[in-house]
Amino acid sequence: MEQKPLRILILDDEPIVCKRLQPALEKNGYEVEIFTSSMEAVQRFRKAQFDIVVTDLKMKELDGLQFLTEVKDSSPNTEVIVITGFATMETAKESFRKGGFDFLSKPFKIGEMLEVIKRAEAKVRQRQAESPSREG
Amino acid sequence: MEGFFKKGLFFKRSGSKAARDGQNPAKRPFSKTFDIFQKTLSLNNQALEAIAMLGDVLSGDYIFDQHFIEVKSRELAETVYQLIGSLNTLSPKFQGLYEVFQRINDEIEQELSGRLVIPKSDYVMPYSAASRDFQDVVGAKNANLAEVANALGFKTPPGFVATTRAFGAFMDHNDLWEKTESLTKAWKTGEISLEDASEKIQSMILDAKVPKEVRKEIQQAVGKLEREQGYKNLYFAVRSSAGGEDGEHSFAGLHLSVLNTPPEELLDAYKRVIASLYSGAVMEYRKDKGFLESEAVMAVGCLVMVDAQASGVVYTMDPMNPDSGKMVISSARGLGASVVSGDVSGDRHLVSRTAPFAIEKVQTEPQEKLLSPKPNGGVDFTPVEENLLGKQALSREQLQTLAEAALQIERHFKRPLDIEYAFDKEGEMYILQARPLKLQTECILLARDLPALLSDYKIIFKDQGTVAQRGVGAGRVFLATQRDEDLDDFPSGAILVARHTSPRFAKIIRKAGAILTDVGSPTGHLATIAREFRVPAIVGSQVATSLLKQGQEITVDAEANIIYDGIVKELETYNLCEEHIEESHEYRLLRRILKKVAPLNLVDPHSRSFSPQGARTFHDITRFVHEKAVEELINLQNVHRHDPDTVSGKLKIPVPLDLVLIDIGHGLAPRENKRVITMDDIQSLPMKSFINGLTKPGAWSTAPANVDFSSFMSSLTRTFASGLSSPDMVGQNLAVISDNYANISLRLGYHFNMIDSYIGDNQNSNYAYFRFMGGVTDATRRSRRARFLAELLSIGDFRVEIRGDLVVARLKKLPSAVMQGKLYFLGVLVAYARQLDVQMTSDSHVSMYVDMFRNLMQSNAA
Repeated sequence: MEQKPLRILILDDEPIVCKRLQPALEKNGYEVEIFTSSMEAVQRFRKAQFDIVVTDLKMKELDGLQFLTEVKDSSPNTEVIVITGFATMETAKESFRKGGFDFLSKPFKIGEMLEVIKRAEAKVRQRQAESPSREG
Repeated sequence: MEGFFKKGLFFKRSGSKAARDGQNPAKRPFSKTFDIFQKTLSLNNQALEAIAMLGDVLSGDYIFDQHFIEVKSRELAETVYQLIGSLNTLSPKFQGLYEVFQRINDEIEQELSGRLVIPKSDYVMPYSAASRDFQDVVGAKNANLAEVANALGFKTPPGFVATTRAFGAFMDHNDLWEKTESLTKAWKTGEISLEDASEKIQSMILDAKVPKEVRKEIQQAVGKLEREQGYKNLYFAVRSSAGGEDGEHSFAGLHLSVLNTPPEELLDAYKRVIASLYSGAVMEYRKDKGFLESEAVMAVGCLVMVDAQASGVVYTMDPMNPDSGKMVISSARGLGASVVSGDVSGDRHLVSRTAPFAIEKVQTEPQEKLLSPKPNGGVDFTPVEENLLGKQALSREQLQTLAEAALQIERHFKRPLDIEYAFDKEGEMYILQARPLKLQTECILLARDLPALLSDYKIIFKDQGTVAQRGVGAGRVFLATQRDEDLDDFPSGAILVARHTSPRFAKIIRKAGAILTDVGSPTGHLATIAREFRVPAIVGSQVATSLLKQGQEITVDAEANIIYDGIVKELETYNLCEEHIEESHEYRLLRRILKKVAPLNLVDPHSRSFSPQGARTFHDITRFVHEKAVEELINLQNVHRHDPDTVSGKLKIPVPLDLVLIDIGHGLAPRENKRVITMDDIQSLPMKSFINGLTKPGAWSTAPANVDFSSFMSSLTRTFASGLSSPDMVGQNLAVISDNYANISLRLGYHFNMIDSYIGDNQNSNYAYFRFMGGVTDATRRSRRARFLAELLSIGDFRVEIRGDLVVARLKKLPSAVMQGKLYFLGVLVAYARQLDVQMTSDSHVSMYVDMFRNLMQSNAA
């Protein structure tokens, strides 16, 4: 029970998505940072460790799939959840191929996101338990 | 689809192309006509699903963004457009729909483009007709006040609002838009000073004429008020309610109020209030806060003056010290403006936020003068009578009445409030205004702090039952377990804990801090009213009455579904300070778009307004199209009775259902008498089974037990729109059949019901599709009805989807014999459920009817 809270980075260029996800996840005990600019998110990610990344797909600057690639390249153990307004099988397949953990299309329910995050958390925790040295 | 729909795209009338190409509907083979009919129904369904979807995401559970609103609105527009085309292909006489469509679509596009659309409304709206949904029409502040009166039942001064549309007409009539815009621009670019711009605009407004039609409506409204109040020469408080004011931005005190205005000066006061939109301070404020000048829109409230003995302001939290658990009540003798402006001293009370609202601290500054109305209009200071000097303006009872009311209003709006009030000479309390309170110390509580803070509190139970209305409520448990306990003693803010729901609770629901029941569903009656009054509620917890004790202090977290022992102040505070998602730009945008999309005005096909011109929303258009599509199909069939491929006629059955059958291929046995079809003539497999079910003994005549609804209704008259339900079958019902196929369109009361099914030897081709769309848009009734239907359908193993009032059930790929059983089932269900609008007042009634249906199905089975 006394585990360190997981750290989550949320990136969506629509502020309302960040504004709603942040308190909902924080109430569930996660540490959350939100970004509406993908450039800022990339910079932050290079400096700090995150266990889970939630990213929108279509954004003005950097595409969500590019961010996904960037995240997986530099931190393979970080689980990435992709959200998008355009739920096509193609984008879904591609995000899985690039190592995405799961895929949610807008609009989604807060509970659905929580459920996906809990599954990602289980995976992260299990990995931490298997190789405790890597933790932190 | 994306990209195809560019902003403001003009829709070409491609749909009527077929008609222009000379394809005369009367000469078209029936099979072709039927194809078009089916396509129309399918588009209709698509449109309804999209409308329901847009409404659904407002429930608060969804995360969506502006992009979603844009894409969905445009998808819907395209579907509706195609639908109109499809109907016109069926018969080209409904071209008028294009115009209606274009108008609605233009408005939606304007909303999406971010331009403010002044709603088409009357120039004047009485407070009694307004609510929080009319913010765009009457302004946020007026909408709040109307809500306080109409939803919560508090006394507010009678009056009316000159709407934003009146404002628009005023600006139009005097060519003021451009003039103000260019002067504002000149100021923003530094060409002229702020004072200069403000003065010029204000004098233009004061010199302008109120257009005749606005003048007339205002005069009529005054006349009506005089008749209602029973005396002439009413004096008014004329108050601003500008766009954005009291929404996220307070504009506190920036706009003008003109007190004690005699009727003959009302229009002058109106102009003075409008001119205050362009005071230097307001122009500066708009610029600082990033408001567009086009958002400078003003509705003006005209309220009958309250002859105030004492008045003042309640802050439901202490702005300097929000965690103190106290509210601040300022009061003074005379009219309230003096307290608001700080012109006179008065009393300042710190009052506990918990019943019985102990008065914890009083600061009295001797009040020597008071603001009072002058006999011929206007206000003035007069000395306080000597014998009253040094005495407090409000009695202890008045303070407590006020405190209780203030917290009830706060619970409704779910945020700390700044409430203006007055007590008249008879001691009657009036609420004059309610708006969000700006706290000095911004909320220090963050969501991320909550888990740690909450871990110190003992949880009594969690995740039991279903959250029916989200929110947080803390207070003492009031156990309502006996039939006859005295509900008059229900303390304000207490937590109502009950085994079952009961109509008796209707009168105390507004006072409850939260509601917990052992038994019940989120679509049950209590849950419905809880939502209406925004009282946090968890129903069906099983354990509430056994685990909670009378008088115990608890906190109901109906966000996370947890019941805490004791008062969890952190949660209460957090909940009140949390940014309310309903106030976000996206929610407001979607609500505004939904107003152009979802309401149903065309409910009665027999009424004169049932015409393209009567359609005001996309929902209206779909309803009209559906009705006409069925009608046209029947008409066309009548036209080619001679068509050897098809036969049609009225079905003679032992239930009062007016049903026309069209046979497009071996659906009927060869018959002598072509006009009348009997049940024995039907060969169509799905149709035969359906009719057998429909006419099953007992199904049609089953009348639900009499329930005492009227007494309940009278205690809650505002909860339901009534009078729209008639369980009779009206209008034309149609079935198009072949040997293996049936497409059945029924209108039950004002609800549409469609069944489409194929049953043949190839199991993989078999399917049954059931769709129900209600006609009454009142949200409280629809979900209950939809859930009820869904429960029945699931008994028959249908896969059921509910969106709002739309119920869609599907079943496929079952063997012929099983499929026939399912169609029989649907027949019984339709016969039985046509009386859905005979109300189910509680969950126990719902389950009773479901049980009755089960019994019915089991009795002498097919």
